[in-house]
Amino acid sequence: FRLNIEGLLVYFPYDYIYPEQYSYMLELKRTLDAKGHGVLEMPSGTGKTISLLSLIVAYQKAFPLEVTKLIYCSRTVPEIEKVVEELRKLMEFYVKETGEANNFMALSLSSRKNLCIHPEILHANIVVYSYHYLLDPKIADLVSKELAKKSVVVFDEAHNIDNVCIDSMSVNITRRMLDRCQTNVDTLQNTIQKIKETDAAKLREEYRRLVEGLKEANVARETDIYLANPVLPDEILQEAVPGSIRTAEHFVGFLRRFLEYLKARLRVQHVVQESAPQFLKDIFDKVCIDRKPLRFCAERLQSLLRTLEIADIADFSAVTLISNFATLVSTYSQGFTIIIEPFEDRTPTIANPVLHFSCMDPSIAIKPVFQRFQSVVITSGTLSPLDIYPRILDFRPVTMASFTMTLARTCLCPLIVGRGNDQVALSSKFETREDFAVIRNYGNLLLEMSAVVPDGIVAFFTSYVYMENIVASWYEQGILENIQRNKLIFIETQDAAETSMALEKYQEACENGRGAILLSVARGKVSEGIDFVHHFGRAVIMFGVPYVYTQSRILKARLEYLRDQFQIRENDFLTFDAMRHAAQCVGRAIRGKTDYGLMIFADKRYARADKRGKLPRWIQEHISDGSLNLTVDEAVQLSKHFLRQMAQPFRQEDQLGLSLLTLEQLQSEEMLQKISQIAHQT
Amino acid sequence: MRECLAFSCQSRSFQHGFIPGAHLCKRVADRRKNITEKEKMDDQGCPRCKTTKYRNPSLKLMVNVCGHTLCENCVEMLFVRGSGNCVQCDTPLRKSNFRVQLFEDASVDKEVEIRKKVMKIYNMREFDFSTLRDYNDYLEQVEDIVYNLTNNIDVENTKLRMEQYQRENKDTIQRNKAKLTREQEELEELLLLEQQSNEQRRLDVLQEEQRQLQAKRKSKQALLDELEKSQLPATILLAQHKVRAAQLETEIEQQKQNVKPTSLFSTGIQIGQTVSLQPLPKIQEVLYQYKPLQIETYGPAAPDLEQLSRFGYLNHVRAAMPQDTAGGYSSALACYRAIQDAFSGLFPLKD
Repeated sequence: FRLNIEGLLVYFPYDYIYPEQYSYMLELKRTLDAKGHGVLEMPSGTGKTISLLSLIVAYQKAFPLEVTKLIYCSRTVPEIEKVVEELRKLMEFYVKETGEANNFMALSLSSRKNLCIHPEILHANIVVYSYHYLLDPKIADLVSKELAKKSVVVFDEAHNIDNVCIDSMSVNITRRMLDRCQTNVDTLQNTIQKIKETDAAKLREEYRRLVEGLKEANVARETDIYLANPVLPDEILQEAVPGSIRTAEHFVGFLRRFLEYLKARLRVQHVVQESAPQFLKDIFDKVCIDRKPLRFCAERLQSLLRTLEIADIADFSAVTLISNFATLVSTYSQGFTIIIEPFEDRTPTIANPVLHFSCMDPSIAIKPVFQRFQSVVITSGTLSPLDIYPRILDFRPVTMASFTMTLARTCLCPLIVGRGNDQVALSSKFETREDFAVIRNYGNLLLEMSAVVPDGIVAFFTSYVYMENIVASWYEQGILENIQRNKLIFIETQDAAETSMALEKYQEACENGRGAILLSVARGKVSEGIDFVHHFGRAVIMFGVPYVYTQSRILKARLEYLRDQFQIRENDFLTFDAMRHAAQCVGRAIRGKTDYGLMIFADKRYARADKRGKLPRWIQEHISDGSLNLTVDEAVQLSKHFLRQMAQPFRQEDQLGLSLLTLEQLQSEEMLQKISQIAHQT
Repeated sequence: MRECLAFSCQSRSFQHGFIPGAHLCKRVADRRKNITEKEKMDDQGCPRCKTTKYRNPSLKLMVNVCGHTLCENCVEMLFVRGSGNCVQCDTPLRKSNFRVQLFEDASVDKEVEIRKKVMKIYNMREFDFSTLRDYNDYLEQVEDIVYNLTNNIDVENTKLRMEQYQRENKDTIQRNKAKLTREQEELEELLLLEQQSNEQRRLDVLQEEQRQLQAKRKSKQALLDELEKSQLPATILLAQHKVRAAQLETEIEQQKQNVKPTSLFSTGIQIGQTVSLQPLPKIQEVLYQYKPLQIETYGPAAPDLEQLSRFGYLNHVRAAMPQDTAGGYSSALACYRAIQDAFSGLFPLKD
């Protein structure tokens, strides 16, 4: 039906609307009106995608000059497909309602095979693709460079966006990569020799261009045609390529030296950590490479590859990566750290040197996006606490809001189980990892839940190692056998094929009524992006707080950087990170208002205010004081009660007027007032 | 039927989870991969005695100006007299010029050696040139020389060119010897800053610890004193002390947590502040315009600066001394000022 949102006519392709969807659209419209950025949190399963799409499309139709394009970024291919499906529905609705032919063009880039789309992307009104097309400097340059300034960018499922940013800027260099790079350089040299004999004019032409400087790129940037690229810093556009790498042979020699230097650096016996300036000083001392030619390295290589007319750029990924690394390390004196590890922590006897050039500042990668586009909307089901995202991404939002679910019945039941029946405190903290009492109590919890909860249960552990340990001792204690009387057990492993097999069988077991338990790991494949709707997930049990592995040097460096640059305390960040993953995990079970599920946090630390306060508001508001520090028995009692309530028939009529509205209901004064309270401004 | 299906699932699920063999297999494969890699890494060896690093981990490869490798033992053997010819290219070499090979590709060792030498002579900096273009041309020329010397192209001529250049630019070379390039200076500065901030952080932490230690010691001393002097029973005092100690503890904890509170973005704008995105209203104002000052005197107008000497005013003023005029002073200035003073002091005469 048609909605009127502060004077904007919005076509909404469904017969009913959730109150929070209306509220969400209101906030979104305000963001667009102000031409600013926004951070919006709304629980999954409440129709975020369709609200976003229908509002922005309506906005585009109403003000075609203000907003020319919608860029919708999502994380995975299935998610992108879901967005396209919704979009198709919306477009069909438009055609039906207005009766005119569709003049909107939408484009989705999901897999590698439809990558080359250059001319089309300029005309499409809606572009749907993965984060990497916008954030990863290697791909962004190919795909997103020419997107118009007056676009609206939406990052959906953006709770991990800082990690995506960091990954896209970080470079890991292994010995094998350097070997591939060596072959690349050899090929380059041979090609240059060949071209010199057959078509020397080409190289001369390139040389002439380089003497003139990178003027073209500069003009393009100044006239605002291109999205800025972090690998191509502004300063180098003003200057000409330094004389020492102007000719092709010299540049190849330069690459060779750089490569040999990296190889020599990888032959370390112990871990080295250094900053970018230290690295630059060392490289000058060892192989006489100045900072300036390094800074031009990426651009110079691109130019050479173009000149040599090398068709298969994928072959040259290694040398491209190395040259990007050269440019980054010489451009940013802050925000990056270099860590060289001679071996992995787990296998100290096997030499496997890696040079991590790791980005610690997510704002570097995303800065061009915020600068270029007039509105950037970051949205997800779990963005709490909202204010940390603007801080670590360094931008100023005009709207920050968290929406709660309006429910006709309380369909989620978060319980914090802090003690076992024998009063032993439950915790996954390091000191009690090996504690048999804790492991036994965790086992009891799972056992009793498996007897009470119908259909599927998903249990999350903090790491693979922890899961292996616990499951092994459950097996010894005979707990596993008892559990298997109630439900089947499936386990996620690090192998993707094994995991998808286990997942398939798990769903089969849920379908045929046998009921199953899936043991998986927070931060694993299952915890992100796989939904357990309805009977596939009636309870989620989170064993422990999923803190990230804090001994990693990269993480330590990043924490230090956060403290020094953004004044975010280490503990704050670690807790924030752990809680967003916990929220992601438990959020898997509730995918809509007709769904219901238990959320069991099995660790006494969840009861503390600093942890609980970082859960999304839509979960937090259902945690009562009575469910804070439960024993296993109490939790089972509460679950039984909850499940019996939920088992009562629930029809659409029960929802109508409360959490599901028709147009008439929406327009009533009273409802509008209620809606205005849904958004929780921060 | 259902049970049967469930059973097959069950056994399969066990396979996914528990079989340690799968991991073992992978680990073995990993190790094998690593071994082949190691071989590849260590297959560099002495071309003369054919020893490799894999067989002799303490093998030390040496390289001389010609860029060919020999192991340490062979060097000792072949160059007992201190000099000799390269086994591979017959270049006359000195033993003292052998050094440890840093890079896998010995030609890079050679190139770096040459480059360092060349850079010592060709050490002009960017500010020695009028334009960037000239500097870049110069850099390319240097690069050419290094390239030629490394790849044995036209060595004689290149060396002659270098010598000529050295003779012609003796002064500049000498002058630039101690100078760093601008970029190196920047780097040094950054390193210094880094060091300072690290030091600062370390000191802060140290001070904080000291302070806490002192506070604790003080409270302990206070307890002892009280126990000594007070009339109250010891249990009460101890309880009081316990409360105080707990307070201190929380205080310390809070201080620890109290990292510089930030409410600012790097742009200098407050977090949470609502920012209006409308452009600032332009102030419509007429620009200030200078108008020469009009002074009304009641008597006749004062004479102009140029007129002073013509009317002979200057005859009554002390002439400027030569050292005064150096600063731009002239006697007319002082006179002009005195006369303006005098004229503005006139009052109209009332009849």
